[in-house]
Amino acid sequence: MRPTLSLIRREFSAYFWSPIAYVVLAVFLAVTGHLFYLSLEMLTAKGPKGISYPMELIVNSVPFWLVFVSIAPLLTMRLFAEEQSSGTLEMLLTAPVRDWQVVCAKYVACYGFYVLMWLPTLLYLPILTDWTWWTLHCEIDPWLIVTTYLGLALAGAMFLSIGLFISSLVKSQMIAALISLFLGMFFVVGGIWRPDMDTSDAPYRVLYYFTVPLHFERSFGRGLIDTRNLILYGSVALLGLFLTVRSLESRRWR
Amino acid sequence: MIHVSQLTKYYGDYPAVQEVSFDVAAGQVVGFLGPNGAGKSTTMRILAGFITATSGTATIAGHDVFWDSVEVRRKIGYMPESCPLYKEMRVNEYLHFRAGIKGIYGSQRRQRIGYVLDRCWLSDVDRQIIGTLSKGYRQRVGLADALLANPPVLILDEPTAGLDPAQIRSTRGLIRELGQQHTILLSTHILSEVEAACDSVIIIHRGRVAVSCSLDDLKARAGARAQLVVVVGGTGDANIFRTLPGVLDVRIRSHAAAETQELRITADDMNSLAPLVSQFATDNEWRLLEMRVERPTLEDLFVQITKKEAAAVV
Repeated sequence: MRPTLSLIRREFSAYFWSPIAYVVLAVFLAVTGHLFYLSLEMLTAKGPKGISYPMELIVNSVPFWLVFVSIAPLLTMRLFAEEQSSGTLEMLLTAPVRDWQVVCAKYVACYGFYVLMWLPTLLYLPILTDWTWWTLHCEIDPWLIVTTYLGLALAGAMFLSIGLFISSLVKSQMIAALISLFLGMFFVVGGIWRPDMDTSDAPYRVLYYFTVPLHFERSFGRGLIDTRNLILYGSVALLGLFLTVRSLESRRWR
Repeated sequence: MIHVSQLTKYYGDYPAVQEVSFDVAAGQVVGFLGPNGAGKSTTMRILAGFITATSGTATIAGHDVFWDSVEVRRKIGYMPESCPLYKEMRVNEYLHFRAGIKGIYGSQRRQRIGYVLDRCWLSDVDRQIIGTLSKGYRQRVGLADALLANPPVLILDEPTAGLDPAQIRSTRGLIRELGQQHTILLSTHILSEVEAACDSVIIIHRGRVAVSCSLDDLKARAGARAQLVVVVGGTGDANIFRTLPGVLDVRIRSHAAAETQELRITADDMNSLAPLVSQFATDNEWRLLEMRVERPTLEDLFVQITKKEAAAVV
């Protein structure tokens, strides 16, 4: 366990040795901040312009998903690709740690960064829920926000795991980022493209199964926890981790 | 300590290592020699558990490198060729990290890091970022990392490659000192390094073991081909030197301009040859200008062996 903690600590601090962490944090905060500002405008607007749920605009907007889908590749691209191109993987894999410990440590570190990235957005919540701090009473149902964050936590786990796997396959960080962006887009494109379909049609229902923005629009954003979606996120995340361990193991055979 | 038998590794169709077998006894310093691409690094990588062999087995300290890889990795300190390190970390940060994944904690970690920093002459640069260090210092960081867990076996892949002569000398000295506490397998293609630091030698060529013996044996082989070079003045027939007792062969090269002749004499007993020749020369009124014993160096031997191997393969 303790070797894994050492690995996690190194991987996590490695984010801050390169400018990429700061760029990701800044862009992410700029976009969510702007969406927060627009949400406030709409929540306080009179007439039909308003929005129905506090985080509706944030998680249902195209700019948010474009940023979201490109953040996971940026966070995961270096994890293995950098080690392979600089040769440090040899040092890592000849240390007395098991492959899965290395994979888990890297995954936990990038997930930790993902959580860190979302932490500042907690500041928006008292305002979005119209919280009165001395009575601890929320005018707007906070449950919708809990479910949204739950969905984001698991969706993030899925995208990061895909990125981690791709990074273990290639030597170039750029290629790792592009491939995982492409794979990530598969889960997001339905929400951006928004095809004109009958929502009771079979093709739409298939599209709905794997299109993450639609899950947020129809369930998590509305305070619903749809286990089908959570199982999709969780199982893809686990599959990604499993494949990463295997891909690392297969390096020894080649 | 290290036992390798019938180790074979194919990269695709290309055999990098073929049926390599050797043993390294505890406490020995063994030089692993071979031209570039002979399979030295591949063998070492298999021993360190970075890659697996296509067939064959290897055990280190009684643990199989394939079935018991993590236990083997606990027993060895491995320094890969060209010594890749995390360039953004500071030297002491890096060593702390490596100590962490090698399972060294608390006061023991501080003590070990202090020891290796001191041992590898890194105390002055322990706060430096590795990326800013010169090649020589980086090699030392790699060596410090290998020593960190005080492993019984050290596997060093070209520890002196890319160093300047002074650094090579000090690294060699360090290896010789470490050889008193650790079993060391050390790869190189510099022969003087082997002569300076090792007890025995394994020469590997085209993926196969060509020679595996102690350094003394190898030197004895080299000694068997020693020649006495004698330069004499005068233009007489030097073939009379052939009549000396015990002489096997005399090769003569005359320098007409200087009126000298160079004789290369081989004999059964090289030790008693020199006084015999000098006595013979004075008796027969040859002017003796120069006399020296030439032994083939390890380098000649190495070239001979690898050439012979190459010829055998063709």
